[in-house]
Amino acid sequence: MDLLPTDEQAEIVATITTQLERDFALNDLASRDGEAEVIDSALWSRCAELGWFALGVSEEDGGVGYTLAEESLLFEALGAHATPGPFLATVLAARVAASGGDAPLLAAVLSGERRVALAEPEPTTDGHPDVGTVVRGTFRLSDFGGAELALVLDGRHAAVVDLATATLRVEPSLDPLIPLATATFDTAALCSVDDRTISLAATVLVAAELAGIARATAEQSTEYAKVREQFGRPVGSFQALKHRCADMAVRADAAVNLSRLAALAVVAGDVDARFQAEAARVVAGDAAISNSHANVQNHGGIGFTLEHTAHRYVTRAQFRTRTAGTHRGHLGELLAASPST
Amino acid sequence: MNLELTAEEQAFREEARTWLRENLPDGERPPEGQPMREFDLAWQRTLFDGGWAGINWPTEFGGRGLSDIQQMIWYEEFARADPPFTLNNSCTFVGNNHGGPTLIANGDDAQKAEHLPKILRGEVVWCQGFSEPGAGSDLASLSTKAVIDGDELVVTGQKTWTSYAHVADLQELLVRTDPTAPKHKGISWVICDMSLPGIEIREIETMSHVTDFCEVFYDEVRIPLTNVVGEIDNGWRVAMSTLSFERGTAFMADQVELASEVEDLIAEARTRTGPDGRRPAIADDEIARRLATARAEVAALRAMTIAGISRTARTGVPGPEGSMIRLFHGELHQRVYQLALDIIGPEALRLTPVDGEGNWTGRYLQSFAYTIGGGTTDIQRNIVGERVLGLPRQ
Repeated sequence: MDLLPTDEQAEIVATITTQLERDFALNDLASRDGEAEVIDSALWSRCAELGWFALGVSEEDGGVGYTLAEESLLFEALGAHATPGPFLATVLAARVAASGGDAPLLAAVLSGERRVALAEPEPTTDGHPDVGTVVRGTFRLSDFGGAELALVLDGRHAAVVDLATATLRVEPSLDPLIPLATATFDTAALCSVDDRTISLAATVLVAAELAGIARATAEQSTEYAKVREQFGRPVGSFQALKHRCADMAVRADAAVNLSRLAALAVVAGDVDARFQAEAARVVAGDAAISNSHANVQNHGGIGFTLEHTAHRYVTRAQFRTRTAGTHRGHLGELLAASPST
Repeated sequence: MNLELTAEEQAFREEARTWLRENLPDGERPPEGQPMREFDLAWQRTLFDGGWAGINWPTEFGGRGLSDIQQMIWYEEFARADPPFTLNNSCTFVGNNHGGPTLIANGDDAQKAEHLPKILRGEVVWCQGFSEPGAGSDLASLSTKAVIDGDELVVTGQKTWTSYAHVADLQELLVRTDPTAPKHKGISWVICDMSLPGIEIREIETMSHVTDFCEVFYDEVRIPLTNVVGEIDNGWRVAMSTLSFERGTAFMADQVELASEVEDLIAEARTRTGPDGRRPAIADDEIARRLATARAEVAALRAMTIAGISRTARTGVPGPEGSMIRLFHGELHQRVYQLALDIIGPEALRLTPVDGEGNWTGRYLQSFAYTIGGGTTDIQRNIVGERVLGLPRQ
């Protein structure tokens, strides 16, 4: 039993981080704020070449042959860098294609050739949309820039559909780097999965991304508290700031370690895998929201500006706590899940 | 990263489960005085006879020399066995988790030979003499003085918050041996026989109505110099080695037990009538959400504990990150018992003892200790801020 990354896993994370710092620097991407296509196809192809979409896909299916554990480390890094892009929809669509035996679809997703937006039902009073072999109804669509496909996810089922068949109404997005629309589908799925394996993976990966947000905001605040001076000394020497940074670090530590543990429990097929995944999602969601808020506060005036990156973690945390289910929904799932005995 | 237990660890779990099923005492723990002491020591002897004393003590000192993971497994199995008492709420705690480990790290051969077997065999009760009325969070400012006179130390002063002093045989006592040195330099760590002339003990009743909290007065108490552990004036370093152990596994039992408390609370919420007076408590949306959050947070506590064990396994010593677990646990512990009171409805106003199943109000009152004892959460935050995050000191 060991919760620290192995040397090999640490190397994967280091490689990913180097790439994210080079190609996904938030201040560079800010020029794309509000645009539909945030990531151009060259950059998306580069991510594909690095194997990021294929970490959790077996080698015989053309993947890298790691597991959800390594994939969750990728998502933790994506969260830490507030990286935009349809990563979640892509890795889940690859799973749907692999489990549906659709090799051409799988290859097109893994190569980055066909991009996948994320479609999720929103609670409405006029009934639930259908997600299965047929996809019908109105969905929230995100990350649709440059996408030909959409992964439709409702917590019980997952389907990949052709996005060209949908009617889109583009809307202003809370997160400037996550394009948002309302999409209406009435189409047969290209491929679908009728069990909860996809939603379980989604829960773990979103938890990891949220944990990454919690960790990065804790680190951003700590670094700032060391260098920002007021009253002639670093503000981190004041207990008000120091204790807030300590609380942020604790929340991040809880979120990171539990999301890693949850990924491992799913990989091992443990009886409490669902329990751990839901718990991770709840803890990481709370941590990401709390830490992203405290991070703005710790930066004072500069934290309230658009040019600083603090706001990006706030809106990303809000988006991701509403991706692949809601905080409330996951609390309910957790209470219904079985702990290990 | 892996969650697998080795074959040895798995076998250890099975062995612990079987043994606990057959050997756990079924009577309630007496709440105070000599009967409590006898109960705690009898359980320690039972543990020793079964080979479960000093699980992570080195084998050369009578322990089993097992890993922190096995220590955690033992606590998990203990909690799972539904015991009639909690592991750390015992007058054997200081011997097992402070005094013993400190002697292992710093004691001389005679001290180890004299004391370690007695701790493991349940023949002796240790208490802690660290805090003073004027030295709490700022422990190093302690002023109980000890003057060398021939081959003895003559101790005069006062200690407080000394749990179980009234039933203890020995005390790990911090005294000021050099009042002229900087405050961290003139302290000595000494073994004090609690039956010596000049010692007076006064019990202090806690807000949870437990009377094992004590203050201890010393009036020219003569302690042999051979009882000094480490060297004279080097007691701060010796004390810190105990605290490092505390950060490691000493509080793991509490953390593991909290997970089973949350599960018990979920069971309570299914059977108790909820706030609307009709449906079970768990059908109440707010209670359900808080229960689920508590479940998630104890799962996180366990993950943090495993991560801490993983770090210690690589570095050899528990790091300051342990303070993050202490901090998280202390506050979570209190939230859980506040939630308990909100679930049990009118029973929340009916006082219970601290020990024993379903005694939520006693444990609620006791929960206030978890953000104060062993370093307040405010001090833990300073430690996290300064020693984990590297923020500047005040």
